[in-house]
Formats: sequence, C-alpha cells, structure tokens
Amino acid sequence: MTYEEAEKELVRIVERLERGDASLDEALGLWERGEELYRFCAAQLAAAEGKIEELAKRVDAARPAG
Amino acid sequence: MKVEPLLYGDRKVYTVAAFNRGVASWLQRLPTIWVEGEVTELRRQAAWQTVFFTLKDPDGGACLRAAMPRSQFDALRLDLRNGERVHVYGRPELWEQKAELRLRALSIERFGIGEHLAALERLKAQLAAEGLFAEERKRPLPRLPRRIGLVTGNDAAAKRDVLTAIQSRFPPARVLVAETYVQGPRAAAEMVAALEAVCAAPEVDVVVLARGGGSFEDLLPFSDERLVRAVAGCPVPVVTAVGHEQDTPLCDLAADRRASTPSAAGRLVVPDVDELLAGLSRARAGLARGARRTLELHALRLAQRHERLRRAPALLVERRRAALAEAGGRLRALSPRGTLDRGYAIVRRDGELVRSATSVVAGDAIAVEVADGSFGARVE
Repeated sequence: MTYEEAEKELVRIVERLERGDASLDEALGLWERGEELYRFCAAQLAAAEGKIEELAKRVDAARPAG
Repeated sequence: MKVEPLLYGDRKVYTVAAFNRGVASWLQRLPTIWVEGEVTELRRQAAWQTVFFTLKDPDGGACLRAAMPRSQFDALRLDLRNGERVHVYGRPELWEQKAELRLRALSIERFGIGEHLAALERLKAQLAAEGLFAEERKRPLPRLPRRIGLVTGNDAAAKRDVLTAIQSRFPPARVLVAETYVQGPRAAAEMVAALEAVCAAPEVDVVVLARGGGSFEDLLPFSDERLVRAVAGCPVPVVTAVGHEQDTPLCDLAADRRASTPSAAGRLVVPDVDELLAGLSRARAGLARGARRTLELHALRLAQRHERLRRAPALLVERRRAALAEAGGRLRALSPRGTLDRGYAIVRRDGELVRSATSVVAGDAIAVEVADGSFGARVE
C-alpha cells in the first residue's frame, strides 16, 4: 500500500462516517480501519531520516560507443 | 594491391613497406564518413600541394590528423582558423611512408554555434512533429514518491541543491542518486544509461535530471536526441532542471515537468511534510467526529423508538375505545329503540309481531310496545 492509497481510503472512510448512515457494527469497523490507516500514514511521515543511496558510479566505467 | 610476403621456411615475413601497404589497402575499404572536431595545427603553405590540420575533440582531447589537397581547400573559401568547429567529410587513409593514419578530407563545413542552433531547431521540429513534446503526454508527478531517482553530475552543486531541497521539505524521502557525465561527448549516452538504471531500481516513482548552469556547448548533451527520447519514454515521470532559467535544452520539452533550478526540482518531487501531517490529523479528527456522530444518530433513533414503544399500550386502549363508541353508535341507530323513540309502536298478538291488518280480527287481545313500556289492548 502506498501513502497515497492509504490516505485516499482514510478520506473515504471519514466521509462515510460523517454521513452517519453506517450501521453500528459497520461504523466500528470503519473507525478501526481508519485508525489503522492513520497509523500507517503517520509512520511513513515519522521515519526520522530519509535515505540517500548512490547507484554504482558510472563515471569511470568507459562504455564503447554505439 | 596484393602484398607478397617473403618466405623463410614456414614463416611469412613482410617488409615495412609491404605491411604499410597492406594496412593502407585494408583501410581503403572503410566507408566515407562525417567527423566533427575542432581545427588545430592548421598548416597551409603556398609551396605545398596539401593542407594539413588536426581535428580534436574539445573535451576528450582525442586527435585525428587530416589532409586535403590545397586547391580543394582553397576552393571551399572557408578562411578556417584554429579553434573553429568543423564537420569533415572524408575517409581514413594511411600515409604509407610513416604509417600515419589520417583523414583524407573530401569536404569541410564550418559547424559553429549558428549551425548548432540550426541543427537543434531541425531536431526540435522533428521531435515536436512526432508528438514527443505534446502537453497530453505529460504525466502528473506522484504526491509522495516511494523513492526518487536523481541523475546528475558527480561533483555537481546541482546534486547538493536537489538533495537539500528534498530533505528539508520531506525528511523521510528516499533518493537513489546516479552520478554520470553531464557534459562532453559521452554525456548523452551516459545519462541515458543512468536514467535507465535508476528507473529499473525498485520503487522509483519519479526521476530528477539536474545540472547547473553552463555554456551553450556544455548543455548540448541535454538536447541530444537519444536523451530527449529517453526522457520522453521514461516509465516514470521526469523532472528536469538544467542550466539557468533562460536555457531550454530539448530534454526540458520532453520532460513531464521542468523546474527553473535544481532546488525547485527538489521541491516539486516531494510534498511538505508539515502540510501532510496537518492533513493527516484533520483526517483523524474527522474519523473520531464521524464515529461519534454515527453513534449519536443511532442513540437518538433508539430513544425515539423507545418512546413510541412506551406510548403504545395507552394508544392501543384509546384506539379500541373509540372503535367501541363508534360501533355502539351504529348499533343504536340500527335498533328498533330509535324507531319507538320517534313515536312508533310494536304490536304483538300472542307474542307474534302483527305485520298486517288482516292478521287480526275484532276482539283479539294484542300487546303494544312503545318507547317507555307496553300495554295491552283489544282490537275493535
């Protein structure tokens, strides 16, 4: 799941809940799913440090033309 | 020309001249081609039948000696000077006496900035006609790429600028950097290879191609047809940040987004983490609010149902009573009582209703019932 997918689903759940037309069981399930999605998104943003990786240096790898 | 070896038993041995001639005749089979280079060591003397010069790559420094008959050279009226860029049409040949390779020039064309620009314009028109720069080809950038590819020079300030912009706006970003040549004759092919390499890495959702400012010639690889096609054909969106604002290399036109500087490119490919967090906590608040609202609506509905349930028995009795009263009214309307009240009487003889005057004779005892009672009578 990407952040964007999780966020989109979270927004859909919020809208559904705010309409108030879900059954109680359903509402409870939606709420739990929403919290789960929230935690997933928050964890992605909270990753303290990003990562810079270097692809194997190409500069000195002479390549035959063509 | 057949080159004959000397024979010493089994061993074939060639004289230097024969070897050179052999190589020279082999070289003659090579095709006639165009070579681009800078003119250096131009030597033209009235006493010589041939004009000599050396062609050099401006960056790599590779050299190639070239020669052209003086009459042909003069007929071109190029007034060439050392340092000028030319295209030479010719074929390789060996100067047999010295075994020196040189290009036998058949034609020379000056290839200065003007010619460069003209060639670029032709390429631009051709690629535009193919639809490579079309607006509908542009893809939206991912809002939050899992991984960002960065293709840039190895000591480039551009690289630092992109990384700084990305990390300050979105600290958790993951970047895959491919350092490559960004100028010189090998740059275009190297950049294409680097672009393909980062795209092939897992989870790379967007690629930045960045290079700081440079001369017109420095930026030429960014207009190379191979690179432009690679940018257009890249499986993920590409953001270019090449040179300064006023430079528009062709790869900018093929890119999905063009940034004015490497820093701007960095800001384009990641969201602002603070904005994301704010949006996320809004969503979470909405989640709690929505759940509470759903609960409240259900509670309200329950209370309404309970109230109706509570009132149900009284309602039922009331409804029965009304129905009863109505039935009683209708019953009364139908009973003979109402008729007697209006002054009519019921006559019986021996307990039988008297319905006809012919069913009694004078002297019969009859009973007469009126509204408030009955009395006996006798028929006359």
